Amino acid sequence: MRALTRIRNFATARRGDQRLREELEQHLAMQTEENIRAGMPPEEARRQARLKLGAVEAVREGYHAEESFPSVDGLLQDARYALRQLRGSPGFTLTAVLTLALGIGANTAVFTLTHALLLRTLPVRQPGELVRLAIDLSATRADARDVPLNLPIIEAIQKQSRSMHDVFAWCVYDFPFRDGSFNGGIHGTIVSGNAFQALGTRPAAGRLLTPADDQPGGGSDGLAAVISYRIWVNRYHADSSIIGRHITVTDHAATIVGVAPAGFEGVIAAEHPDIYLPLEFQAALYGEPAKHDGGRLWLETFARLNPSVSRAEAAAEMNSLFPHILDATLPPAMRHLPVIEKARIEVKPARTGWSKLRMQYTEPLLLLQLMVGAVLLICCGNLSGLFLARASARRHEFAIRGALGAGRLRLMRQLFVECLMLALPGALVGVGLAWMAGPWILHMLGNAEAEEAISMQPNPTVLWVTVACAVFCALVFGMAPAWTASHISEEAALRSSHPRTSAGGARLRNFFVPFQLALSLVLVVVAGLLGTTVARLLTEDSGYRTDNVIFALTDFLRIPQKGDALVALYRRMAERMEELPGVEQASVASIAPFLGWRWADEFVATENMQHARPVEAMQNIIAAHYFSAVGIRIVAGRDLENSDSDSNSCVVSEAAARLYFPHGSALGKTLRSIVHDRTGIDSFRDYQIVGIVQDTKYDSLRESPPPIVYIPLSTGNEGQTNGGSALFFVVHARSMSAARSAYLTTLHEMASSSPEIPPMDFNQTLRDSASRERLLSVLSGFFALLGLLLSGIGIYGQVAWNVTRRTSEIGVRMALGATRAKVFALVMRQVISLLTIGVLAGGIAAIFAAHCVRSFLFEVKPGNPWVFALSAVALVLIGVFAALLPARRAISIDPMQALRTE
Amino acid sequence: MKQKRDVQQGTLALMVLKTLDVLGPLHGYGIARRIEQISGDLLSVNQGTLYPVLLRLEQEGAIASEWGPSENNRRARFYRLTHTGRKLLETEKRDWEQSAAIVARFFEVKAEDLI
Repeated sequence: MRALTRIRNFATARRGDQRLREELEQHLAMQTEENIRAGMPPEEARRQARLKLGAVEAVREGYHAEESFPSVDGLLQDARYALRQLRGSPGFTLTAVLTLALGIGANTAVFTLTHALLLRTLPVRQPGELVRLAIDLSATRADARDVPLNLPIIEAIQKQSRSMHDVFAWCVYDFPFRDGSFNGGIHGTIVSGNAFQALGTRPAAGRLLTPADDQPGGGSDGLAAVISYRIWVNRYHADSSIIGRHITVTDHAATIVGVAPAGFEGVIAAEHPDIYLPLEFQAALYGEPAKHDGGRLWLETFARLNPSVSRAEAAAEMNSLFPHILDATLPPAMRHLPVIEKARIEVKPARTGWSKLRMQYTEPLLLLQLMVGAVLLICCGNLSGLFLARASARRHEFAIRGALGAGRLRLMRQLFVECLMLALPGALVGVGLAWMAGPWILHMLGNAEAEEAISMQPNPTVLWVTVACAVFCALVFGMAPAWTASHISEEAALRSSHPRTSAGGARLRNFFVPFQLALSLVLVVVAGLLGTTVARLLTEDSGYRTDNVIFALTDFLRIPQKGDALVALYRRMAERMEELPGVEQASVASIAPFLGWRWADEFVATENMQHARPVEAMQNIIAAHYFSAVGIRIVAGRDLENSDSDSNSCVVSEAAARLYFPHGSALGKTLRSIVHDRTGIDSFRDYQIVGIVQDTKYDSLRESPPPIVYIPLSTGNEGQTNGGSALFFVVHARSMSAARSAYLTTLHEMASSSPEIPPMDFNQTLRDSASRERLLSVLSGFFALLGLLLSGIGIYGQVAWNVTRRTSEIGVRMALGATRAKVFALVMRQVISLLTIGVLAGGIAAIFAAHCVRSFLFEVKPGNPWVFALSAVALVLIGVFAALLPARRAISIDPMQALRTE
Repeated sequence: MKQKRDVQQGTLALMVLKTLDVLGPLHGYGIARRIEQISGDLLSVNQGTLYPVLLRLEQEGAIASEWGPSENNRRARFYRLTHTGRKLLETEKRDWEQSAAIVARFFEVKAEDLI
């Protein structure tokens, strides 16, 4: 009933103002008459009546509060007032909004990336139930976590698990794709038939894949394909008649059966598949055994937890089942390798899906998030200072409002609204800045796929977080001024003739500036350390010549030649490339350096078998001219040759020579490789060392050159070519374009049925191997600069305000004979003390921070004195520079003028 | 001098109702005067605060108001108790007496009574 009245009052803006005013007037009149009757003079009678009635404005507000919705009403009123205040000082408003835009924008930009990569909840039914299953081999190999599964293991889990259901497989693929006039690549994925049912996804048109599609030979539609909503709209104009259309994927006919819903991007974060095919497609491409291969781990696996089963329970069940599953699925020769014996299954939450990028970028993103948080705090410090200065200039106003009956909370609320009126536009501009910086940040991930798939468009979650950021800012930078403002003694403030002489909030302000300086110093030190790391990484000698070299991954899986014929084809193609114009050398390699691929086996020197245990060395399978193609110097002996006479020769790096033959030369000696492959645990093969080459790094710039054994690509060794799926061509030419065209020409001539995988620029590969560090150093450097800039503004504001506040004091000093130099020293002394406190506190905090980031560093100690010293110097320079302007104003104060204004 | 106590909103409402119950229709100033007199100046009503309370009671339906001529022929707004208001006063009065009685009993208890 009352609520209804209020709503009506609020909606119709009916104000009882008129009625209240009249009633209060009557009240005053009656009281005055009564007072006069009691014998007071009329003036006094009226005054006493007013005193008795109390603060009319407060009564009016209380009245309005009863009448309508007080909070909304008051907020609107506050907002209007704040707007007037801000319009009155455009310079202040602009500075504040821009500062906030930078601070909030940096946060939004980093958060957009964090959200896209780490936090975005999958748009599927009950995402909280989803888990990801992965094999953890870290007991034997430090980096082997998150290893995928394969189909036999998945089927066994599906059958035996009591804690999970809907186990499904997912594997990202790029396909050549033909449909009518369109002929090009398409980014896609192959999934087990139950994947869409398990996710609870509904089609936008047609139907999604079902287990029936995942049978040998496909389902009733043959090979069924589901396309993404994106290409349905972009390429097919959302035409429903495309259901049933025949398309060609990697030379296999498929039928479009449906369209995935809008916004569905599968379960791999930072990927955007445009076509979904059943796992059966693997069988269509490579034969039915390839789909059920128990020896290869290739399928990302997800499942749903049963109701009221925890992840820990599911993991416990998995690890009791896992040995039996391995017994049943692995080839016997692999089953008892130490790495398999110690393998465990991990059950990880998959509400947000999964991405390989997470292994690389989770920690850097968290670090960046912390850094932008610090930038935001610096912003808040700045604004707090500005607001405090304004608050002390507005003491008169606050005092008057207090005298009119405004409560302390009311005053604080009004200031808070004013802060919010700055923070929200700041956030808006910030979102714009973040959006513009988005592509640039993405590019620094050094991952073309992710760059394409991650959307830096602001989405609702990001916007909410940004708004929360803004409100947080308003609270933080509004708190101190609001507190001081609400504690102003009304009488003192009203009596004081000169608002400038008040020192309200001076102590608080003296806290904010060193706080900002300390935070900035931490940022600069961290950025300095990360920057040094990148510089060291990129100038680190890798041992290779990287200019004008390409590595081209081959996919010869569908070429009829297998085994020895395939080896011969690789050799012939490399030789053919060398005939083409501009090409210096061409070769083949099984490992391209710096892609993060490692292949290690155990070797032992045959002359030393009694004493030495087999030790691991990195391996690479190469053809002739590999060393000259990538600029590795042959120290002794000779290169490997493309002939079968060399099939039992090998070349070792100097580190390997030292490792296996610590006494005497390695040349001509024999190295025994202990091969753990499917044919038996202890099979071995002997290689005679025909050459020793200079050391190089292998898969990371961070490591020192490991021992490497180079084995020839040779016939009678079918495993080497891996069916043609895993070898690279290495081409060194006079120019990149010559290298590329030689590769493509040869590919078209001699292996025309193979898909064209864009070759990699070796230089770029090398640089991209440091992309994580590059992202960190560039962004942290940017944030550090931002921090410095903001601190500079903070110091400027503080000193300028102090000079203004002390104008008359300085005037008096000058009138009494203080020289300009003395006045200058007076001003600068304050700056120096602020800087000292800031640098000391920041230095201590930076030592901790540097310790926390040490895992990111390379060839630079977290306590590097140069980085610390230079950072401190930069901060001091900025501080002094920022203080110079107001200091100049101080020495140009005219004593007469200053004293007159007092 | 002892400081006068501020009147709490709930108590003020109760006083307003009782005043109107005893004296019949009355304008704001009259109510304020009356409360002041009865409390013997012990309670200082910041008299303006009476008006929001009056508005609230009116919105709750406990009192009704209309314009009318005052004693010295001014236009004043007169408040009177409604049927709902009378019932409200009854319940409030009972509640108040009950709590007062309980508190009073606590004050009368001596240590030996409790043994």
